[in-house]
Amino acid sequence: MEIFVDTLNGLVNSSGFMGFIADGGWQNIIMILISFVLFYLAIVKQYEPLLMLPIAFGMLLTNLPMTGLYHAELWNPATNPYFAPEYIEQAGGVVVNYVKEASLDYGRVLHEGGLLDMLYLGVKLGIYPPIIFLGIGSMTDFGPLIANPKSFLLGAAAQGGIFFTFLGACAMNLTGMADFTLKEAASIAIIGGADGPTAIFLTSKLAPQLLGSIAVAAYSYMALVPVIQPPIMKLLTTEKERSVKMGQLRQVSKMEKVIFSIAVTIIVSLIIPDAGTLVGMLMLGNLMKESGVCDRLVKTAQNELMNIITIFLGTTVGATAVAGNFLNPKTLFIIALGLIAFCIGTACGVLLGKLMYVISRGKINPLIGSAGVSAVPMAARVSQKVGQETNPSNFLLMHAMGPNVAGVIGSAVAAGVLLSVLG
Amino acid sequence: MSLALSFLSDAASTEAQGVIDRLQAYTGSAEQSIAQQQLGDPDYWGTVGIITITGILVVFFILALLILIFWAMGQFFKSKDKRKAAKEEAAKAAAATKEPAPAPAPVEEIDEADDSDDDEIIAVISAAIAAYSEADGKQYAIRSIKRKDSKTRSAWSLAGIGDNTRPFL
Repeated sequence: MEIFVDTLNGLVNSSGFMGFIADGGWQNIIMILISFVLFYLAIVKQYEPLLMLPIAFGMLLTNLPMTGLYHAELWNPATNPYFAPEYIEQAGGVVVNYVKEASLDYGRVLHEGGLLDMLYLGVKLGIYPPIIFLGIGSMTDFGPLIANPKSFLLGAAAQGGIFFTFLGACAMNLTGMADFTLKEAASIAIIGGADGPTAIFLTSKLAPQLLGSIAVAAYSYMALVPVIQPPIMKLLTTEKERSVKMGQLRQVSKMEKVIFSIAVTIIVSLIIPDAGTLVGMLMLGNLMKESGVCDRLVKTAQNELMNIITIFLGTTVGATAVAGNFLNPKTLFIIALGLIAFCIGTACGVLLGKLMYVISRGKINPLIGSAGVSAVPMAARVSQKVGQETNPSNFLLMHAMGPNVAGVIGSAVAAGVLLSVLG
Repeated sequence: MSLALSFLSDAASTEAQGVIDRLQAYTGSAEQSIAQQQLGDPDYWGTVGIITITGILVVFFILALLILIFWAMGQFFKSKDKRKAAKEEAAKAAAATKEPAPAPAPVEEIDEADDSDDDEIIAVISAAIAAYSEADGKQYAIRSIKRKDSKTRSAWSLAGIGDNTRPFL
């Protein structure tokens, strides 16, 4: 009888419910409730459900006590025994560098990690986002951009949201409400690039503790592009500007598309080597598609590979949202700053579009500027929709695809710049 | 040599001290102390400003460079296409002078009879409507087939655009 009671007692004590009662367990309950909200957004509202659903589920799993799927402490360099300051003080210059490199104990992750720890290696080591870029490259048609290279300017202008938000996040420190390090400020600002994989890539390198909140903010706002952008676009343009019809784009030959993907890789990687990973994979996917000789590889990159990585990426990014990282005022600031980044990016694109409208004497419709924030192809569709509202016979979609895909390259370059300065 | 070595070790030790400071800050009260340290830096806003300005400039510079390159490439391919078209036209003109072109086949109810594919297109449209009428159970008669204004897009190109822009991540 006593054995039976002991066993029962042991079972109760090792159950997850005790985790909720334990010190700080209430935070897990709040996190689980937040994951329910994300489930609602993904399933009922269908906000980027392909990512939002795995993110929400990762968040749920990681906050169920004692499941051991994900261990935040393994990913915190401060808990690495080799990280003890006295050890470092004894070491000479060379050894210090070694310690610096080894600040995360990957051996410990492999020994003690759970399923999501293992899968998170792909985020931490920077593997998943570039593979997603490979898939995106193999689905993207750069034709509109090649036909109208001026679109690159709009793609660059919309990245203004990133850098102004970087300033804004640093200015937040002055108010005393938040204290973001430069790396954290850069990771928050990259939300303005409206590019999920880029945001995850940069954040996992610069401020991994913010990964969960930044990914949730980035994907939520990407889903909200059709709501966020039109008011800004209408506010900044006149009806006359919005109704401009643009001439049909010229046909772009296969040869040009092939040269494009190779040339962009070489130029961008030589100037900003840190951007080489994302841009290189994007262009590899695109070259496979445009060359027309790798049909089987293209199919895999577009479908199976992309889907597998999406599942891993979403779930593990969600898993990083443990209570300690997520439930602090920083998350609220990230959500606010992310929205500001999006709005400024849209405004910068539209304003440069206006400038091009003036310079081209009314040949360029400024609405295509807002598509410079990546969010392919949603942002281009928004340009098309707002243009058609003003002039129902207007067809801006292909013109907006130019700045849209330029925005993908632009935000990868911006991430590379931030990585090389702060990484 | 010894001078160089002492210089090296000096550099190493200052670097080491820097790393140690950073690590101690890290192990202490984690991130916050780094943020506060950075804020305490008298040149904080200088650093922030430089990162912002260089960031914007570098992004614009790279994309402007790409514009230049692909504009030049576009010009090259455009002129190549033009030359090719001109050559083809010349060859056609030469062929036309050699033998008189056959009289255009009389195509009923067609506005523009200059396209040699027209018969084929009519056959395809008829077949499609026949298949449709079979499924529908009704009889349809084709009274006329008109070419639409060439400035608007065809249903096929719209379908292509739709396919190319379907949402992904």
